[in-house]
Amino acid sequence: MKKFILICALILLILPAFAADEAKLIEQQTIQSRIDDCGSKLLNSNKIEKRVVFAYSEAEKSGLLEVDKDLTRRQVVVYSGKYKFVDSDDELAAVLARDIAIAVRTYDGIFNGSLRALQIKAAPKKFEIVADKTAVDYMVKAGYNPLGLITYIQKTSPQRRFDMISNKNLTSKRLAMIYEYIYMKYPYFLVNNTYLENVHYQNFLLTSVENRRMLHEKIKNHLKGKVKYE
Amino acid sequence: MNKFVKFFLQAFLITAFWANASFALVEDELVKETLSAENVQKPETHINYNYEDTDVVDIRLSVLEDIKNEKYLQEGQLVKFRVVRDVKYKGEVVIKRGTLATARVETIITNGMNGIPASVVFGDFNIEGIPWSKLTSNYEKYGFDMSLLVYPLKWALTILPPTGSFTNFIKGGHVRLKSTNIITIQYHPNWL
Repeated sequence: MKKFILICALILLILPAFAADEAKLIEQQTIQSRIDDCGSKLLNSNKIEKRVVFAYSEAEKSGLLEVDKDLTRRQVVVYSGKYKFVDSDDELAAVLARDIAIAVRTYDGIFNGSLRALQIKAAPKKFEIVADKTAVDYMVKAGYNPLGLITYIQKTSPQRRFDMISNKNLTSKRLAMIYEYIYMKYPYFLVNNTYLENVHYQNFLLTSVENRRMLHEKIKNHLKGKVKYE
Repeated sequence: MNKFVKFFLQAFLITAFWANASFALVEDELVKETLSAENVQKPETHINYNYEDTDVVDIRLSVLEDIKNEKYLQEGQLVKFRVVRDVKYKGEVVIKRGTLATARVETIITNGMNGIPASVVFGDFNIEGIPWSKLTSNYEKYGFDMSLLVYPLKWALTILPPTGSFTNFIKGGHVRLKSTNIITIQYHPNWL
């Protein structure tokens, strides 16, 4: 009898631990499958004939010495630190589309794209903008609203003081360039703006008044050069 | 009873007024002033696809006017091409030689340090009678890639610091596309 009670007590103690583990696993599976679906939709809609896979990681962000897996293994890793900011499918598509753009570029060129990957590493600022613009194209083709990229970056990327000696562009500059790209290529999304009541988009409008004024000047005066965004 | 109705009506109107006032949106003046009068089309999406079929035919194109440099192009600009050879599928000509085609300049990447070449991504190919969904999504034209020279040179010069760093200043080539250059895109006749 004592043995029986002891076994029952042990089972009762262990079971909740398994249940917690299982709940966590199910949660991870749900996130992974959401990422996979969105990623495959982006790849198929854009007729990307190269293999790119997706993974969700519980880690907050990639390790300091860890190499970019989108460059080396063509694997887009969505870290929990990034995923926690995702509010809609548009924003998830924005996260994935940027990394897909980089991963796909590494298929091109000699040594199976190794040189191209090296170039992306050597000029991160240049390719950051390229990835943003390509992501907009990918999102539109897959039926997502590219303004989701603006709201996602608005929420997640901090604003540095300078970008002269940095390996990243100023976030305000990036956002202005994305906005200009959408304005020029996909004005439909700005005219029929479903994000106008989104608080993060409103915050972008509020913080980009000067940059949008510069773009306005460019359009009004039919100028062709690059705008020097701040 | 009338008093109750009047009270509720007043309360409703006041609430509606304050709700409106507290959620006043920052309007996008740029869009309002420059785009509201324009007739903007909804961009084409590609959500219904089927890639079961493996048939593929090459389409050779040449640009109508020479492109001397990527600086002469703008993102979103349409570039005209001409089909160089008849495109045949199962013995039938589907696109005649000389047919005009257009492509949109999707992204321009300027040349950079360390020999990184400039490149131009052409997309949204449009050939009369051929749906977009059956054509290659994009074609990228690169300038001369100097990084093939830069990286070995940089590594070779590491024994003489800081001479290796000077190779950073070698820039890659510009994009040139002459009307005699042929670019090839793929046509998948049975794709959706």
